[in-house]
Amino acid sequence: MGKKEFFTSRWGLILSVLGIAVGTGNIWRFSRIVAQNGGGSFLIPWVVFLFLWSLPLIIAEFALGKSARLGPLGAIAKTAGKKFGWMGGFVAFVSTGIMFYYSVVTGWCIKYFYSAVSGELLTSTDHFAMWNDFSISLLPALFHLLAIGIGIVVVYRGIVNGIEKVNKVLVSTLLVILLILLVRAVTLPNAVEGLNYFFTPEWDKVLDFKVWMNALTQNAWDTGAGWGLILTYAVYMKKKEDIPVNAALIGFGNNSVSLIAGIIIFSTVFSLSSVDAMTQITQSGPANTGLTFIYLPLLFSKLSSSNIVNNIFASMFFLALAFAALSSLISMLELTTRTFMDFGFLRKKAIFLVGALGFLFGLPSALNMDIFINQDWVWGVGLILSGGFISFAINKYGADKFRIDHINSGYSEIKLGKWYSFFMKYLIPLQAFVMLLWWLISSISWDPQWWNPFHTENLGTCLFQWGIVFLILIGFNKIITNKTLAEK
Amino acid sequence: MSSTAIIVFIFVCGLIWGGLIYFLRLAVKFEKLKRGNEEI
Repeated sequence: MGKKEFFTSRWGLILSVLGIAVGTGNIWRFSRIVAQNGGGSFLIPWVVFLFLWSLPLIIAEFALGKSARLGPLGAIAKTAGKKFGWMGGFVAFVSTGIMFYYSVVTGWCIKYFYSAVSGELLTSTDHFAMWNDFSISLLPALFHLLAIGIGIVVVYRGIVNGIEKVNKVLVSTLLVILLILLVRAVTLPNAVEGLNYFFTPEWDKVLDFKVWMNALTQNAWDTGAGWGLILTYAVYMKKKEDIPVNAALIGFGNNSVSLIAGIIIFSTVFSLSSVDAMTQITQSGPANTGLTFIYLPLLFSKLSSSNIVNNIFASMFFLALAFAALSSLISMLELTTRTFMDFGFLRKKAIFLVGALGFLFGLPSALNMDIFINQDWVWGVGLILSGGFISFAINKYGADKFRIDHINSGYSEIKLGKWYSFFMKYLIPLQAFVMLLWWLISSISWDPQWWNPFHTENLGTCLFQWGIVFLILIGFNKIITNKTLAEK
Repeated sequence: MSSTAIIVFIFVCGLIWGGLIYFLRLAVKFEKLKRGNEEI
């Protein structure tokens, strides 16, 4: 099976796991969701759910991966019992399903970085047409292949020479770029209007259930908590590594990046927009691309009177976005690779298989926006189930026993009290259940044919696709789980 | 910025960035202790 690898340092581990968490969700989705949910009214519940959802699940994932030393399937089977291996299989499949189309997104970001650097981006007079021409061409497929290619080279090189080394560069660079853009953005004329909007609550929305659900969902989709990705990297944590403090660094670090990105975007849009800024931020555009790929390039062209300066800032923004996407994609490729390795494949064989599958199954999303939107919907909501399954595994083991055995070990820098067990036993399952119900019931209201499995975003398509995955995983649970847990 | 926006800014950014700085300092402290113990 090859030598076991571990992250060489705490900071290598932190930067790599931060790479999982920080992605396009922080930079582009967060700002749109804040704008659609009343600015400051959204930020308050968003902070609350960092503590109620994200941090407990990040801690759980660290502990599961570190104790089991197996990917999600093996970790859940080992913790909850072989009968429940299929739950871990579902966690792994959901992240894999996301990987298929996330590499398409990564490709878009790389393409726009290239366009910015070449000068093509800011000389365009019609950014909607530019995006449209790109998205209907074969270029998304090509850049999707490039993204997968870069990702598999990194994963092929392993944890130390691949994932850790690359993430140290990607994540550090991305953070520096964001700080530079932050200074530029807040010093723009009228930037304070954007900050006012970002932080002022709409009082009628502060107790709005929909706003709170969106805040919880943004935490679930943004921090990477409950996806199985942090669990996968935790397989490579040294025994002496702490869990609670490291988990807190990830949670607070990830949300810090979202705040910085939000301030950048709101300041820039309000400063440079000659039309209603809010319309621009909240307009989703095709597959939620509007703000990032259509409106922001327009704004960058107005940043200053110097084309060179504008190109530099635009290039920096899209480089940061590409790095954020790439660091998250790498973790998804590693999760699927780890799952195959646990099954008995060598890393080399596993990564080529993952690369081939990633390219092939991502191709439909690269070539058809409706398929992209459908997959984003089905596996995005599936992530909520993943979080629920992770908390189930811990409760099956015994939440208190899990806390004592695997979190509060001799190497823990902070010991967690019984409150953590309460969170895992009641609060996490409750939030997962309410979130799932809310999204699925909402989808019934927006599609009269909510049962139709071939529609883009509804209950029917979720149940159909999840159903196929569950049937296979439950049907073959014994074989898959036994092979995964077998001594190698 | 309006006074409400300033209050929310202080609360949200204070909590998030303050939390990050707090745990970073804790991690650095524990790393120094670990290295110290290893040298002994």
